[in-house]
Amino acid sequence: MGAYLIRRTLGAIPLLLGVATLIFVVLNLAPGDPTAYYVRPGVPPAVLEQIRSNFGLDQPLHIRYLHWLGAFITGDFGYSFGQGRPVADVILDALPNTLILAGAALVLVFLLGIAIGVFQAVRQHSAVDSALSVTSLFFYSMPSFWLGLMLMLVFALKAYQWGWPVALPPTGVTSIDYDFLPFWQRVGDRLAHLVLPTATLTLVLAAGVARYTRGQMLEVVRQDYIRTARAKGLPERVVILKHALRNSLLPVITLLGLYLPFLFSGAVFVEVIFAWPGMGRVIVDAIFQRDYPVVMATGFIFAAMVVAGNLIADVLYAVADPRIRYD
Amino acid sequence: MHAVHGTPHAPRCPGLLGLLVLFMALGACRGEERGGGPVTGAPVRGGTAVVGKRTAFGGFNPVTNTDIYTDELMKYALFTPLIQYDEDLEVRPYLAQSWELLGDTAVLFHLRRDVHWHDGPLVTAEDVAFTFDLAKNPETASLLNSAYLSRVESAEVIDSFAIRFDFSRPHAQALEDFWWAPLPRHLLEDVPPAQLRTAPYNRAPVGSGPYRFVERRANERLVIARDSMFPEALGGPPYLDRVIFRIIPEAPTMLTELITGGVDVDLPVFPDQAAQIESSPDLRLFAFPGRTFYYIGWNTRRAPFDDARVRRAMTFAIDRGAIIAALLEGYGTPAVGPIPPWSPLFPEQVQPLPHDTARAARLLSDAGWIDRNGDGIRENAAGRALRFTLLTSQESPLNRAIAEVVQSDLRAVGAGVEIQPLEFQTLLTRHRGRDFDAVLTNWVLDNFQVASAPSALFHSRWADVPGSANRSSFANPRADALIERGAAATDPDSARAIWAEFTELLREEQPFTFLFWLNELAASRQRIQGVVMDPRGELVSIADWWLPGGERR
Repeated sequence: MGAYLIRRTLGAIPLLLGVATLIFVVLNLAPGDPTAYYVRPGVPPAVLEQIRSNFGLDQPLHIRYLHWLGAFITGDFGYSFGQGRPVADVILDALPNTLILAGAALVLVFLLGIAIGVFQAVRQHSAVDSALSVTSLFFYSMPSFWLGLMLMLVFALKAYQWGWPVALPPTGVTSIDYDFLPFWQRVGDRLAHLVLPTATLTLVLAAGVARYTRGQMLEVVRQDYIRTARAKGLPERVVILKHALRNSLLPVITLLGLYLPFLFSGAVFVEVIFAWPGMGRVIVDAIFQRDYPVVMATGFIFAAMVVAGNLIADVLYAVADPRIRYD
Repeated sequence: MHAVHGTPHAPRCPGLLGLLVLFMALGACRGEERGGGPVTGAPVRGGTAVVGKRTAFGGFNPVTNTDIYTDELMKYALFTPLIQYDEDLEVRPYLAQSWELLGDTAVLFHLRRDVHWHDGPLVTAEDVAFTFDLAKNPETASLLNSAYLSRVESAEVIDSFAIRFDFSRPHAQALEDFWWAPLPRHLLEDVPPAQLRTAPYNRAPVGSGPYRFVERRANERLVIARDSMFPEALGGPPYLDRVIFRIIPEAPTMLTELITGGVDVDLPVFPDQAAQIESSPDLRLFAFPGRTFYYIGWNTRRAPFDDARVRRAMTFAIDRGAIIAALLEGYGTPAVGPIPPWSPLFPEQVQPLPHDTARAARLLSDAGWIDRNGDGIRENAAGRALRFTLLTSQESPLNRAIAEVVQSDLRAVGAGVEIQPLEFQTLLTRHRGRDFDAVLTNWVLDNFQVASAPSALFHSRWADVPGSANRSSFANPRADALIERGAAATDPDSARAIWAEFTELLREEQPFTFLFWLNELAASRQRIQGVVMDPRGELVSIADWWLPGGERR
């Protein structure tokens, strides 16, 4: 297993470099440049040229690519044009927020999705099954920005106006007086701020996982070994949760690798709506500003996270299915 | 970032704006009253105000900054500019306690002796000269230089609190060249000028204004706090303990925060949110004349817009009043030229061309554009149809809506418009490269010096310079002469006459169809007092904001 992991990790390096090169080329082919977005319109062209030269943008493309590659390999992501500070700082500020949001959503997506799926499979054709099917399709087909706004409308705005006991904070990571709160209230404050954005991400994606799990479970419970398990007198709970669930999880684990990109791109919208200071906002702003170093670095990190997600999925296959061996 | 093409006012997710309608419908049923009405009585110290803002601040460095809100925050909160404006836009002393104009070629400033850097030392003439030299250094690529100092040649320190500036030539509004704040030399003298833009100082500045910098979290918040040393003569320390700026990009989200009390001030507000804010007893709406005008720029080097008659016909045909009423809910002022209606030099006597489709049709016929084949679109003698492409920003719902009104107005006089919404950078590249027929966009004034916009937009010197702002390639010797005379006129009355003549010339030539001046909108909760907003900006009175004792958070 260890050798396999090392092999896969090494194999990912050319892939990631290829991705980074592709981003570099596409980005530089797009019209516009970093001086355009945040420079006042009345600025004489000579000043613009000076700014471009300060950014190193007066060099030909291949020279810039070599410079960038050289720095990048040694771990130097360069300076953000837009924010005037090291890209590494920009990312270190934003990445933890995205990981918290996407991580919480990822865990909830699979816990909730699998639980609902199993429940529906066990109660197939019941009224609860149909109700859950309709509900999950409802959320599955809903754009996340719309769902986010609706949740905010009800649980933040209306809850406040109608005087509900709990009105959730609509935006941000913490309250403005966070620094003055005692420890447990800080934890509560953070959790309260996580609820709406996490719920938005979770509801849309968990619906998909639930559909998958239900379908897989229904196939597995019809198989002979399940009948055998029941025939030898095992309790139904053990039959379902131990024998059936484990076998039906394999395709669901594949989903994990596939969902990571969805989760991050979904997080982009959710971060903008809920004013969550994460990577999504950094990326969107950087693309609009043609802030090349930031787009390069964030694109690379997202690619790396997707590769890592797939690697984790492969490892989990082996955990779920003892027949799968990586040697 | 600067609101050149309307993008900062645009929501990031297309279509979200539409959801506002729903918010409004549901917002009609309100719960119990919270917060009070207008408060009277003397201001008291203490409390924290929260300001919601759509875009992040730039670096806090007056020499390298390019963002208009960051500029405001530096001028009114963090730093001490040499001069300030009063509510009539007259220059008043600030860091410069007094001045002597030496003829019309130089000015001598006497600085206050009681303004401190927040780390202790006094602000001196050496700091001012240091900042001037940085701005003038080509390596810093400073916009301070192009916006304020292009006609100031040199600075000479007379003593620690006196400094003399020499002008390269006499010009109007010369004192207004000095609406900028010095940087602390003792903290920045070791930074190479080419790296000033990325100096760590810009992220955590030591300023000299009524508020000092406390903390900044990227894309999240900025905290500033009262500076208790700030001189009484300049208004003294602010009333508020702290002001927190929160970055909230989406309009519906921001409104939710405002209604639920998460923010006290919302910058800016969209016209379609105004009615809801006005009808809410907890909230206050601020509408004030701004520095942004919208226009359609015609490419005067390309047929059919190389003919002033066609350009004039377009303006007659477009119902600008209807655009203001329908799309801006009335929060706009018809524009006739680049001089804002609130400027002391605004030529009141020059009225915009009226909406008159008959005259538009007549002008087009005179120019040889007649519907020869009965398809509703005019053709010229060579058989070319009067069809063209109107570029605009795809990120701005307002721009797209205006473009559709323009399209239908022009169809009515026999001109076929194809609207092409483009991503901001693509639009800018095409506009700068003169690769367009017509562009619908906006322009934000950098400063209150009347000559700036005309010289950048309409002087023939820039007509063929790639990347410059005269993207309509307008070249007219009379316009050049008027711009130069206007910029040099030191007497307000003669300056006003010159700009009136210039505006009349623009009205005849119509290199742009000026659509309107945008009225800026902002909102606050009732609990926050002392808020003034006018053309000087949203934050002009930030040192005088206060909260009544019972309304603290």
